Amino acid sequence: MAVREIEPIELELDRLEHMAESGYYNPYTLFDWPDAIEPDLPWMSESLTTLAGTPMWDELTREQQIALTKYEAINFFSLNIHGIRELMSEVVMRIHERTYANVSEFLHHFIGEENEHMWFFAQFCLRYGGKLYPAQPSLQADSVEHLSPVARELVVFARILIFEEIVDHYNAYMATDESLPHIAREINRVHHQDESRHVAFGRMIFTNLLGQVAKRDPAEVPLVAEYLENYLRYSIATLYNPAAYRDAGIPDALALRRRALEHPARHAAHERILKRTRSFLTKAGVGRELVK
Amino acid sequence: MQAVREFILDRNPKLDKLDDDLDLIDSRAINSLAFVEFIFLLEELTGESIDPEELDLDDFRTLNAIGARFLKQKAAS
Repeated sequence: MAVREIEPIELELDRLEHMAESGYYNPYTLFDWPDAIEPDLPWMSESLTTLAGTPMWDELTREQQIALTKYEAINFFSLNIHGIRELMSEVVMRIHERTYANVSEFLHHFIGEENEHMWFFAQFCLRYGGKLYPAQPSLQADSVEHLSPVARELVVFARILIFEEIVDHYNAYMATDESLPHIAREINRVHHQDESRHVAFGRMIFTNLLGQVAKRDPAEVPLVAEYLENYLRYSIATLYNPAAYRDAGIPDALALRRRALEHPARHAAHERILKRTRSFLTKAGVGRELVK
Repeated sequence: MQAVREFILDRNPKLDKLDDDLDLIDSRAINSLAFVEFIFLLEELTGESIDPEELDLDDFRTLNAIGARFLKQKAAS
């Protein structure tokens, strides 16, 4: 990590730190975990499954539909867990670097809260589903080698922000979905509450680092935009896990995944999921319109 | 193998030819973001599932290695 080439990050975080302190809770005692999930209830909102809005959903039996909500909930929470592992390790490595001295206080809240989120997501998956889905494989030679150190630093925090914003789209909806079991609603609600602070912080640090990238070399901004657009598409595709289709008893999982990803109703759903993030990136000056 | 070549060339418009020995990973012809899709493609072509926790990157490094590990094995069975 080459943080020496990056100017110290100065952000006004008093309000977020105060909220983190005053809203602090004990996650290990907060939830009332039932012994089992009611068998006929969906585990995630049906409209948020990866087949929603397509004939592929209508072709499923009711049993398969409920099973799909179950395994896609486990996939969604597993993605959260692996995403948190990645972002925590990145933030831990920076927390006492000089560049981050002025935001270190908030980063402590951030890591602590993320660790707690990881715990309750895993509790849900392991108690009721008996498993997590494994992390997607990653490559040592990464996709950012063509970028400058400061742009790579921006990408680290951009990945965290994008991941959190996508997850929050789901959490915000499921936090109030009365069709879900109480415990599923609660986990989504509590996570949504904490993430609003993390997203606010993420946008501030993103804006700061993007400013540093543009100041060093404005020509690099479109390269960052291209990376971010690819990362948005990649993130959406990870929601479509063939293992979840197989576990739900749906045949031809890989072909189904391909058909679902290409379906116009799903393209429209992806635009809805990414709307807030895309509009933020465009306003920040690093949206997909810069990608050639 | 044609589908594998197309997958890589589609994502690398600057690459006009694809040597069987080109290191696809070091050359970033397949990057982290594309790797998951690439694995799904191989699973679909071979009908075999690839465990993300067990995979050996060297099996994916060149077209030759991919052919030997995934495609010929299928043809021979």
